[in-house]
Amino acid sequence: MNKESGFQWKLGMFVIIGLVLFVSTIYFVGKQKNLFGSTFNLKSNFKSVSGLEIGNNVRFAGINIGTVSDIQLKTDSSVVVVFVIKDEVRKFIKTDATASIGSDGLMGDKVLTISPGIASTKIVEDNDLIASKIPIDMEDVMGSVKKSVDNAGIITAQLAQFTYNMNNGNGTLSKLMTDKEMAGSIKKSLLNLETTSNEFASFTNKMNNGDGALSKLVTDKKMGKMVDSTMKNIEETTKGFTEITEAAKHNFLLRGYFKKKEKAEDKKQEELDSKEEAELKKAMKMAEDSAAAVKK
Amino acid sequence: MIIYLKNTFNDVGKVSLFATRFFKEVFKPPYEFKEFVKQCYVIGYKSLPLVAITGFIMGLVLTLQSRPTLAKFGAESWLPGMVALSLIREIAPVITALICAGKVSSGIGAELGSMKVTEQIDAMEVAAINPFKYLVVTRILATTLMIPILVIFADAIGMLGGYIGVNMHSEINLTRYTSQVFESLAFLDIVPATIKTFFFGFFIGMIGCYKGFTAANGTESVGLAANSAVVTASLTIFIIDMLAVQITDLFF
Repeated sequence: MNKESGFQWKLGMFVIIGLVLFVSTIYFVGKQKNLFGSTFNLKSNFKSVSGLEIGNNVRFAGINIGTVSDIQLKTDSSVVVVFVIKDEVRKFIKTDATASIGSDGLMGDKVLTISPGIASTKIVEDNDLIASKIPIDMEDVMGSVKKSVDNAGIITAQLAQFTYNMNNGNGTLSKLMTDKEMAGSIKKSLLNLETTSNEFASFTNKMNNGDGALSKLVTDKKMGKMVDSTMKNIEETTKGFTEITEAAKHNFLLRGYFKKKEKAEDKKQEELDSKEEAELKKAMKMAEDSAAAVKK
Repeated sequence: MIIYLKNTFNDVGKVSLFATRFFKEVFKPPYEFKEFVKQCYVIGYKSLPLVAITGFIMGLVLTLQSRPTLAKFGAESWLPGMVALSLIREIAPVITALICAGKVSSGIGAELGSMKVTEQIDAMEVAAINPFKYLVVTRILATTLMIPILVIFADAIGMLGGYIGVNMHSEINLTRYTSQVFESLAFLDIVPATIKTFFFGFFIGMIGCYKGFTAANGTESVGLAANSAVVTASLTIFIIDMLAVQITDLFF
């Protein structure tokens, strides 16, 4: 009897450990598929599910919170996706959340991602319908990648042309890059510019602080006033002078002289007029001749 | 040729009769419960070290062997999932069944064969004990129920071997490894593989018993019974495995 119970407990332990392992495996796999624990359903309409399958993960903020439980065609352009989500995350999902289909890595499974909304504060109910975003197809991505690759090709070709021109061309920019003489002359002119600016600096310094006439003219206020009064005096003097001339014109002694001057001026004018007329006639005649030649 | 065909049909017919007799007797009282428990101990518990070592080595070796191929694709992170899938779906059931075919089936064949040769079975009948019920039914039931449990142990220990295999080249902690394993598993991976093991167990027991029970008179026939039990059981395991995988593939 003693010996018998010796092997019996070993057998019991063996069987129980085996069964526990099996049951725990079933439990953990089931937990992965949300078969145990309280859950709730959400629905969303898609135009295309792009390869999403039943059992794919549902993510919210990057965390797996559930699985896709059903995918059904509703009309020819609408698919209803039902997904099971753990009850404990329900309080975070508001009614304006959106569902989108993405993929887990480049080659990985598709995942359904729920993104939170902004405005709503109402928590979703069981079997609610939430909005969907159009999934990004791999083909679209490839299309845009192709476009940018094409553009890159054009850009590099032009860049190559540009570099070639830079190395071998005769333009200013390429000269600037390659010509040694040009560099020398630029250096020289820069040196000249430097000396010029130095001179100019000392000049301005003198202008500001010197005692010469020019600097006084620029800086001294007294001198300015003096110049101003001188100018006024000159103006007054010229006024007086005009008056004197006018008076002289009417003076009988000097009238003769002025009349003579007027006459000489008139004559000069007449001569000029007749000269112009003659020239005009000449031109007209030449024009007529050329017209006749054309006719012939 | 005709004689060969006739012999084959004869054998298949005998095995079928043997199997139907088992199903008839298994539900009929009296039940030999004590003998059943003893056989479970011998078949299940005593085979555990052998199965454990095999499972551990299979997990370790499979991990190390698949690593270079996966590394080529930069998919080393899939290693735990891949090892778990191939162990649970195919390798652990078949290897465990083959080991048990070698250990259990040949044991049963030799034991029953020698009992038959030494006319102990006839003596049982004289003593009003149904030898079929006492010897055959208990053994077949024991293998049918113990092989699945042994396979579960092989799975678990194989996963441990895989964990060590993964850690030889890179580092992964046990929690992450376990979660990766369970992430890759679905019921479809576990359930058909488990159902399959019951059939493995049943056929291991039945072939061993049939070969022993129908051993001819003579000492050399004991060895023959043990030998042919191992060969036939191993072959049957592969055929059942193929059928099981095809049926699973057909329905899912």
